[in-house]
Amino acid sequence: MLRIYVWLYVAFLYAPIAIITLFSFHSSPALTFPFEGVSLRWYAKIFSDATFMASLWNSVIVGASTALVTTILGSLTALGLARLKGRIQTLFGLLAFGPVALPGLFLGIALVMLFSQIGLQRSLVTIIIAHVLFTLPFFIEAVRSRIEYFDLSLEEAARDLGATPLQTFRLVTLPIIGPTIGGAAILSFALSFDEFIITVFVSGNDTTLPLTIWSMMRRAVSPDINAASVISLGLSIGLILIGGLLVWYQRRLALSARAKDMEA
Amino acid sequence: MSTPNIVELYGVTKAFGALTVLHDIDLTIQQGEILTLLGPSGCGKTTLMRIIAGFEATTHGRVTIQGADVSYLPPDKRPVNMVFQRYALFPHLDVFDNVAFGLRLKKWPKERIREAVQHMLHLVQLGEYGNRWIHELSGGQAQRVALARALVNSPSVLLLDEPLAALDLKIRHHMLAELKRIHQETGTTFIYVTHDQDEATILSDRIVLMNKGRIEQIGTPEEMYAHPRSLFCARFLGETNILTGAVRAAETDTTYVDVGPGTVKVPANGAAVAIGQNVSLAIRPEALQVSRLAPGGAGGDGVNALDGVVEDVVFMGSRVVYSIRTSVETIKYQETRSVDGIMLAKGEPVRASWRPDAAVLLTH
Repeated sequence: MLRIYVWLYVAFLYAPIAIITLFSFHSSPALTFPFEGVSLRWYAKIFSDATFMASLWNSVIVGASTALVTTILGSLTALGLARLKGRIQTLFGLLAFGPVALPGLFLGIALVMLFSQIGLQRSLVTIIIAHVLFTLPFFIEAVRSRIEYFDLSLEEAARDLGATPLQTFRLVTLPIIGPTIGGAAILSFALSFDEFIITVFVSGNDTTLPLTIWSMMRRAVSPDINAASVISLGLSIGLILIGGLLVWYQRRLALSARAKDMEA
Repeated sequence: MSTPNIVELYGVTKAFGALTVLHDIDLTIQQGEILTLLGPSGCGKTTLMRIIAGFEATTHGRVTIQGADVSYLPPDKRPVNMVFQRYALFPHLDVFDNVAFGLRLKKWPKERIREAVQHMLHLVQLGEYGNRWIHELSGGQAQRVALARALVNSPSVLLLDEPLAALDLKIRHHMLAELKRIHQETGTTFIYVTHDQDEATILSDRIVLMNKGRIEQIGTPEEMYAHPRSLFCARFLGETNILTGAVRAAETDTTYVDVGPGTVKVPANGAAVAIGQNVSLAIRPEALQVSRLAPGGAGGDGVNALDGVVEDVVFMGSRVVYSIRTSVETIKYQETRSVDGIMLAKGEPVRASWRPDAAVLLTH
C-alpha cells in the first residue's frame, strides 16, 4: 500500500515536469499523444524570439545582482545576530525573518507606493530592490543556524595566534562559513529567478522571464512555452549543480594541496 | 629578560556594567613557573586570564609582559598564546595546518615551518598525525594539538584555560603528567586556570586561590595545604575538619579556644584576637591521632582531644577514612591502611587528639 502511495506521490510531483520536457522536443505543435517525433524547432523558435531572450537576460542580471546584494547584507546581518545576546537576539531574529510571512501582494503594492513617492522609475533596479527584500529573510535564516553554531573561540584562537581582525575573517571565519553562504547565495538567485507576484508590481518596461512566459501563456498555449519552461528549469538545476560542484572542487583543491605539502 | 617577573599585574579591576568581577588584583608571575589560578566558578580566574591574553580590557590597572606595558595591545600583538577550554582547533584545517597557523602569519619560510611543526608534533607525541583532520582526533589528541599550536610560537607565557575539563578522569591524569613533562622540556612559563584543586596541587609551583574577584591566598601547594589563611582556603584545598569556639585566653605564641566541653590549644596566627571572639580551627583528617577508649572509661574531653563514637568507616584502598561523632562536630579521621587491616569498627568509642601545631587558627 505504502509503496503504491509513494510511487503515486513521485508521479504527481514529477509527471508534469517530464511531460513538459517531453513535449518541448515534440516535432508537431500538438500537445497531446501520440508523440510524432523529436525536434528542436521550439527551442530554435524561442531562441530567436527577441522578447524572450531579453527577458531571460534580464532575469539573469536581476538574479545575480539580487544574490550579490543579499549575500553581502545577509551575511553581515547573520554575523551581527550571532553576536547579540538573549532577548535582543530573539527580537532582531524575528524582525529579520518576519517579512517571510508578508504576502507578496502586500509587499508589491507597498513597494510601488514607496517607489512612486520617492520618484524612482520602475526598472530592473526596482525589481532588484524588491527581490533583495524578498530573498533576504530566506538568506539570513539559511545562514543563521550555521553561524550561530560557529564557535566564536575559533576567532579568538586566530587572534591569539597573531591574526589581525581582517586576517581572522579571511583565514578562519570565511572558510568555515563560506560554503553555507555560497549555498544561500544560490538559493537567493533561484528565488529571484522565478519570483512572479512582487515582480508584476515593481517591473517597468523591462520584464523578467516568469513575466514573459506568463504573457505568452495569455496569448495562446503554444509549444514554445514548453521550451521556455524547460530552459528556465534547466538554468535553475544547472545553477544548483554549479554551486554543489564549487563546494566539492574547493574541498578537492584543499586535499591535493595537502598531499603536495606532504610530498615536499 | 632583565626582570625575573614575566607578567606583572597592578591594581587590575574589571567590571561588566554594575558587576565588578575583579577587585584591584596585584600579582607577579615568575619566569618559568607553573602558576595556577584556582577558584570556584565565577571567582574571576578566567576573566583574569583573558585580561592577560588581551581578550578583555581592564577597567582599571595595568598588565606588563616582560616589562612592557601591554594593557592596550590587542591579543595578536601580545607575546602569549592560549590553550582554549574546548580546544578551538580550526575545523577546516588539518593538524599540520592548525599548528602552522601562527608561524605562517609570521611569514616564516616554508622549510622552517615544516621543521618547527614536526618538532612540536613530536613533542606532544603526535608525530604521525600531521595530515589528520581535526574531527578524526580523540579528546586527548585534540588537546595535544591545541598545546602544540600554542607552543610552536615560543610564547613568553602559555595560558591554559581549564584545558582538561572536557577530558575523562583517566586521560586527565595522564595529561597532567604530560603537561609537566612538556613544561620541563620547553621551560615556558605556564598560567593555568582550573577549579579542580587536585589538578592545581599536582601541577603547580604556586597556586593563586581566588574568591569573589579577589585573591584569597598565594603560595606553594604545600604551604596552602598546611597553612590556610582563611576558612575558604582551608575548605577549598583538601578535606578538613573545622571546629568553632570562643577564645578563652591569648598568649604571644598560643591561643586557647573553648570547643564544646574541652579546650583547644593552637599556635597564634599573628592576627589579634579578643577574649570571647568566635574563631575557627582547621585540622586535617590525617593530622589526628585516634585511640580506643576502654569501655566505660571515657574520661571526658581534655586538652586537644575530643571523645566520640566511630560512625562510619570508608575503605579507600591505601587509606581508610573514619567519621567520628563527637559532642561538638562529626569529624573525619584518615589513616593509612595497615597490613593488619582496618583498625576501628563502627560503634567503637574512641578519643581523637592532635598536637597543638596540627591545628590552624582561622579568624575569617
